Amino acid sequence: MILEILSAGLIISVCLAIFLDEAVYAVSALAAAFFFTSFLYVLSGAIFVAIFQFAVGVGTLAILFLSGEMLSEKPDKKTSLGKSLMVVTAGALLSFPAVFLSLSSPATVGSDIQFGEALWNLRAVDVVLQGLVIMTVALGTAIILYEKKKGEK
Amino acid sequence: MMDFVILSLTMIAIGIYGLLTKRHLLKVFISVELITMGATLNFVMLASSLGKNLGQAFLILAFSTDTAVSGVILALLVIACKKYGTSDIGEIMKMEQEKEAEI
Repeated sequence: MILEILSAGLIISVCLAIFLDEAVYAVSALAAAFFFTSFLYVLSGAIFVAIFQFAVGVGTLAILFLSGEMLSEKPDKKTSLGKSLMVVTAGALLSFPAVFLSLSSPATVGSDIQFGEALWNLRAVDVVLQGLVIMTVALGTAIILYEKKKGEK
Repeated sequence: MMDFVILSLTMIAIGIYGLLTKRHLLKVFISVELITMGATLNFVMLASSLGKNLGQAFLILAFSTDTAVSGVILALLVIACKKYGTSDIGEIMKMEQEKEAEI
């Protein structure tokens, strides 16, 4: 039952994030979508991914709130309650296919590899570290190019 | 398992709709985030249902990359908004076309 509620909540908050006019409300709806997704991950047994999603989500949302305030001009007309209700109804309708196709927790299927084993024995940590190195190099290159361009001016 | 595929497909469809119809830069960014979230949800659920925790380990890398991409996109949005004084894609395109016509 809880999976159905979470799925419906996820789709409704996704709809609100797209259709609400004011940026701050849209970002709040996106925060709700992050929360529902993390909860779905926890219930499906992917606890590490859920923690990571939540941590990343908090950072992204903090920046989004700031830039949302910076980027948005205040709209002349406020979002009416009727429109908000219509979006919620549309989201609920859109979540019907996912809800009524008998949601079941995929974690019950079982797991053959533990997360730690995947990281250490199957060398997944190598790939993750390589990714971090590539990202650091990319960021460093971007900063050097920026400084070079600034120096030319 | 298919139900989660439908859930993530719905999220991706809503994200693509937002990407195609919304003109506000922040809304476009939110749409991209939703598409990424839908795809990640699909991968996590499939990895969990198959019992492959290796998939979860790789997804952490995907999250890191996604965060870096989000940071770059947001920086570009703020720069574009400051340069053109608006966050409407249509108006920005119009200004660029006018500038090109002047040249």
